[in-house]
Amino acid sequence: MARPAIAIALGLAAAPALAESGQEWLTRMGAALNNASYVGEFVSESAGRTERLAITHRVRDGVVSERLVSLTGSRRELVRENDEVVVYLPDQKLAIIERRSGRSDLLGSLPQFEGRMASWYNVDWVGRETLDDFGPTAVVAVRPLDGYRFGYRLWIDVDTHMPVRSDLSDGSGRVVERLRFTRLRLDDQIPDSAFEPALDRSKLRWVRQSPQDDEAAPAWRAVQVPPGFRLSTSGVQAVAGSSGPVSHLVYSDGLATVSVFVQAPSPGKAPAQGTTRSGVASAFTTVVDGHQVTAVGEVPPRTLKYIATGLRPAALAPDVQHAAATDRRN
Amino acid sequence: MTDRIKEQLSAFLDGELPDPESALLLKRLERDDELRGALSRYSLIGAVLRSDGDVPAARQVAARVSAAIAREPFRAAGFARLPQREALLRGCAGLAVAAGVALGAVALVQQLQSPDTAAPAAVVARVEVPPVEPVVDDTEPATGYTTPPASESSGGLAPAELANFLVAHYGYATPLVRRSVGAGLIGDDSAALQQDVPAAEQGGQ
Repeated sequence: MARPAIAIALGLAAAPALAESGQEWLTRMGAALNNASYVGEFVSESAGRTERLAITHRVRDGVVSERLVSLTGSRRELVRENDEVVVYLPDQKLAIIERRSGRSDLLGSLPQFEGRMASWYNVDWVGRETLDDFGPTAVVAVRPLDGYRFGYRLWIDVDTHMPVRSDLSDGSGRVVERLRFTRLRLDDQIPDSAFEPALDRSKLRWVRQSPQDDEAAPAWRAVQVPPGFRLSTSGVQAVAGSSGPVSHLVYSDGLATVSVFVQAPSPGKAPAQGTTRSGVASAFTTVVDGHQVTAVGEVPPRTLKYIATGLRPAALAPDVQHAAATDRRN
Repeated sequence: MTDRIKEQLSAFLDGELPDPESALLLKRLERDDELRGALSRYSLIGAVLRSDGDVPAARQVAARVSAAIAREPFRAAGFARLPQREALLRGCAGLAVAAGVALGAVALVQQLQSPDTAAPAAVVARVEVPPVEPVVDDTEPATGYTTPPASESSGGLAPAELANFLVAHYGYATPLVRRSVGAGLIGDDSAALQQDVPAAEQGGQ
């Protein structure tokens, strides 16, 4: 029979006894991402640059702790404990503390690829593939159905259910970021000391970006968003570099997330307009109704531009409109 | 921008601008985005010519800016007399100028070093995996791959602003992409290279 021969030729393992589904593997992967404690190293490639990082991730009694350390020279670190994130920049003797709003319980957790998300992504079972560092993996493709979001190709370790490699691609299938583990070990006994930054914190300047008013009704809202995106949370917070409070709105389609920041113009500072990038994330900033509106997220720039230019003061905003769901540009 | 300013920029990058004029130029750089952009472009040209596009060489320009800032008269003689807030603001602004120049130069060098095929090929050589394409801005319908022009980035957020917003966004990203966002934040060539921190926002841990 030709089929096993083809599978072997493609580097795929023999077909499993039972049919496998991409949905099932994504569910297993989501559970692992939310519940597993692990230590590892991974490489991130994006836009011509390569970063090597160490990660320590622990879930204990519902508390998520995570530490990312750059291994490529600067030894910058990012430490998260539940809703608080601290970015350590020892090369600048600086630490930025961000405390996330408590109203965002639905975010940052298991992605659900069912229900409304199924309208914007196709989930395809690709097959089994053996990776040198990890052995057999289950390969699943999450394909966007329009140009407003990225797609994923995931290599899920069949033992740990962890994604040990992921390729992020645009609507044309071009890979824009590749993240692959070079080492990964599950560990339920990670000590607290593993989340202590390896630097002298007494010599750092500290900058706090804290929520200021989580209960106020959003003063701004988007009157146009891509299909599937909806407001997930909003609040007012301090952002370093801003002279006043910043409205922060978060839109999500369940997998991709876009933060929109609205701030009054800073005195003496020329308004900015345009797109910038940082790895897989992009930002688009523009001026709306005399305010600086900035959209940030791991989505194509056109999505950020579409949302940001549609921000309006809530008192003046008509009902939200979605981009044509028939936009299936790939 | 006048020819006189262009000449000053060129002399500054060559280390030939007298200290008093360097101090004045640096003060102007702190408040003039166009001038900072020009300095980045000039430094890029110099870096590419001197080092065959080596990014660390572009960073040396920032070191030169930092050194010049350190030589400024107000820092040497009058810094202690400034009110603390003003002193911190001036210090931060000076650092931001240097850092902004560095990132601009580095980004532009990388832009030049990354034609459609050359950069991914370099990645392949290091990690032995298929190439990763640069992020595509598909604001307009895509008819093929196009490298985003440098002007697109230069017209957007300053690097420090982008880093601050990314920190605020990080906690909302889903687990699947959160590590990628984190890698962008703390990576060596990340937006977090620069931070311009007003004194009013600083506090102790």
